[in-house]
Amino acid sequence: MMAALLSLWLAFQITTDVKQHVEAGLAAKRAGDLDTAIREFRRVTELAPELAAAHVNLGAAYYQKKDYGAAVAPLRKALEINPDLPGAHEMLGTALLAQGYAADAIPQLEKARSDALLGVALLEAGRVREALDKLEAALEKQPRDPDLLYYVGQAHARLSRDAFDVLVASHPDSARAKQLLGETAAAAGNREAAEKHLQAALDARPDLRGAHFALGELYLGSGDYERAEREFRAEAGLSPGSAAAAYKLGLAAANRGEVDIALTELRRANVLQPGMPETLLELAKATAANGDLVTAERLLRQVLEQEQDSSLAGSAHFQLAQIYRKLGRAPDADKEMTRFQEIRRHPR
Amino acid sequence: MLSFAAQSPQLQLVQPAGFDFKHRNSPTTQKYLLETMGGGVALLDYNNDGLLDIFLVNGGKLDDPVKGPVDFHRRESVFWNRLYRQNRDGTFTDVTASAGLSDAGNNYGMGVAVGDYDNDGFPDLYVTNYGHNTLYHNNGDGTFTEVTAQAGVAAGGWSASAGFFDYDNDGRLDLFVTRYLDWDIHRNILCGTPFHSYCRPDKFAGVTNALFHNEGDGRFRDVSVTAGIGGVKGKSLGVAFNDYDGDGFADIFVANDGMEQFLFRNKGDGTFQECALDAGVALSEDGKPFAGMGVAFADYDNDGRPDILVTNLALEKYAVYRNEGGGRFQYASLTTGLAGLTAGSSGWGVGLYDFRNNGRKDVFAAQGHVLDNVEKIHSGLRYLEPPAMFQNREGKFTKGDLGNPPAVAGRGAAFGDLNNDGYVDVVMSVLGGHPIVFANRGAANHWLTLKLIGVHSNRDGAGAKVKVGNQWAYATTSGSYLSASDSRLHFGLGPESEAAVEIVWPSGRKQLLEHAAADRILTVREPE
Repeated sequence: MMAALLSLWLAFQITTDVKQHVEAGLAAKRAGDLDTAIREFRRVTELAPELAAAHVNLGAAYYQKKDYGAAVAPLRKALEINPDLPGAHEMLGTALLAQGYAADAIPQLEKARSDALLGVALLEAGRVREALDKLEAALEKQPRDPDLLYYVGQAHARLSRDAFDVLVASHPDSARAKQLLGETAAAAGNREAAEKHLQAALDARPDLRGAHFALGELYLGSGDYERAEREFRAEAGLSPGSAAAAYKLGLAAANRGEVDIALTELRRANVLQPGMPETLLELAKATAANGDLVTAERLLRQVLEQEQDSSLAGSAHFQLAQIYRKLGRAPDADKEMTRFQEIRRHPR
Repeated sequence: MLSFAAQSPQLQLVQPAGFDFKHRNSPTTQKYLLETMGGGVALLDYNNDGLLDIFLVNGGKLDDPVKGPVDFHRRESVFWNRLYRQNRDGTFTDVTASAGLSDAGNNYGMGVAVGDYDNDGFPDLYVTNYGHNTLYHNNGDGTFTEVTAQAGVAAGGWSASAGFFDYDNDGRLDLFVTRYLDWDIHRNILCGTPFHSYCRPDKFAGVTNALFHNEGDGRFRDVSVTAGIGGVKGKSLGVAFNDYDGDGFADIFVANDGMEQFLFRNKGDGTFQECALDAGVALSEDGKPFAGMGVAFADYDNDGRPDILVTNLALEKYAVYRNEGGGRFQYASLTTGLAGLTAGSSGWGVGLYDFRNNGRKDVFAAQGHVLDNVEKIHSGLRYLEPPAMFQNREGKFTKGDLGNPPAVAGRGAAFGDLNNDGYVDVVMSVLGGHPIVFANRGAANHWLTLKLIGVHSNRDGAGAKVKVGNQWAYATTSGSYLSASDSRLHFGLGPESEAAVEIVWPSGRKQLLEHAAADRILTVREPE
């Protein structure tokens, strides 16, 4: 961009006085002395008010100083004189966006052809679907960019919220609206409200999928395994193909000491969605509790094929240590316990 | 005093006349952690009249905030610890002042241990504090003398549970003192957003526990380091003793808050080895630390091997470790059903006692969360909780009926037969409130209670292992949380009207009583 601006200077008929200020401004900018650069460029705009490059350089200095409010006017003036100034649209769009003027920023950023910035501006202007297109296009080029990931997430959340707002507004007494309110309350930690809404959802539509599951999670999270088991069982009845429901039902049963039920459900979960490490770990624990240490060991080894340093892996090593001690394999138990301690000291 | 309706719960709330203690913890806006941890309760027969008396540890006054040199105002009578003598008619009389127990020093009270450390036949009291601990010698005439300095057992810092036991079987009771955290009231920190709440223990460093060897002349020697106790730092709250490996020497289980638990194996040479991880009692089933608070160290499944039950915070599930022999335990909270019964509760004082005299030890737990605003943080949890009783049905626990006890901040719990009817009663301390007495309504089952008198062993017989039928019990006043229980050993006999009693004394002497008649309190003296 700098080379292009310089060529604009050269293309323009300038006096010696102007030239001196331009050079002083550029030197100050190169030296990082933005205040001096601003002072010199401002003098240039006074001496040569129709010189677009003078305005754009003043705007760029303000922009570089992150004084976006001050950057807007000279950048606008520059583009007024020369609408094709390279880089000026992006700077102006960004400066406007940085101050919250998303709608004003959009035409500038459209001209700048910056998907990422345009996506953010569209999102902030409430044009969520268009924003998502631009942001996802940008994300394809920079898949790990934290800002982009954040804004893509925001856009999806906004779309989902919009849909839910419509749902609650248009069908406030529907089972789905109650389910949504329940899930939202649960996420906010408001157990009482969550329970009330989810129960209302089920009263309105007893075959509603997901509501029993959400209730089960609520009870599981507060240690009420009896009610959790009841809800997960109901969910599993509605969704016999749900590995998650089978897993949670097994987990609740295991916590109630119902080893046979736990084994049945965890095995079922492992058939429905084979090889999930969480399922394998719980299945191994229930299997060991049932006395089948050899199978439990095999299952734990399967967990460790997928998990190396996670807390899940730590737990698997801990279980293995217990099993080996029971089997009288002290060196193996020590090895597992050492690995468990290593993971414990340095959790991932 | 005690009469019950036929359908009343096994343990029923009663209010004995004259028993008017109120615990003062002085909650402040500073949320000093101290405020939420006390206090202990002891059941002891201090005057040897055959009736259990009750001693309660009070907290103290806390200014809000504490400024300058701290004054806990223990001179004011509302902040005294209290001793209540039981009268023949089941009422109680406050004898604190006449017994010489009104001076608690400038300390904030926590727990109590009971043991006859000088073998004179009268139980002595050791009170733990934030500050210095206090040893009261029982003079045998209804009065006590404070002998802390002479005995050398003041410790210091923040002590919690303590217990007397004879770790070297020399016939004299030694003393183990747990200490909680490296915490100073003058360096308090505020925790919790947006609501201030009591800090988690991980905000503070751990400290060592203390072991005092009884030198036999009224003095104790701090052997913490040489015995291997001082080699590990804990965040210790509960302590209990039993001989888990059957080698004839008392081992120590220490409940730690928010870290691994400790099991100190007595090596029989005056030293200990911490081996909780190897023994399988350090962590939860998933290898996770938990907030260990109270502990019961007793044989719940009648296999002759003492098991361990540790209370902890809600969502952690009380931890049951079944002793499988060979120095190994198996986490059994799930298989015993106790996990499902306790996952939503926070437990403190705890005991494994046969409340129904059917030959199986049940569980009683004092409950209540540590955070007085926990509902704001987790709406599924509760600060105040009723205590719980879980009945032992062949090694599986089910919820027992306590009637409708109030939800309180339960803390300490002491167990013993208050009215000598052969059924174990409970006294539970309540943080900032009145203690609760649960009287056992009894049943038709037979029972046998043994009062041991050691001769070669310590006079309390602490550490004796007693077998009655297929049941084993270990003589100790320790366990639970901050509390001390009846020193007598209690056995439910079900329909049996007599029992064979085998006693292995700490001295190694064995004693057999072949046909001990049921339904009596039997005093057994160690053979010469």
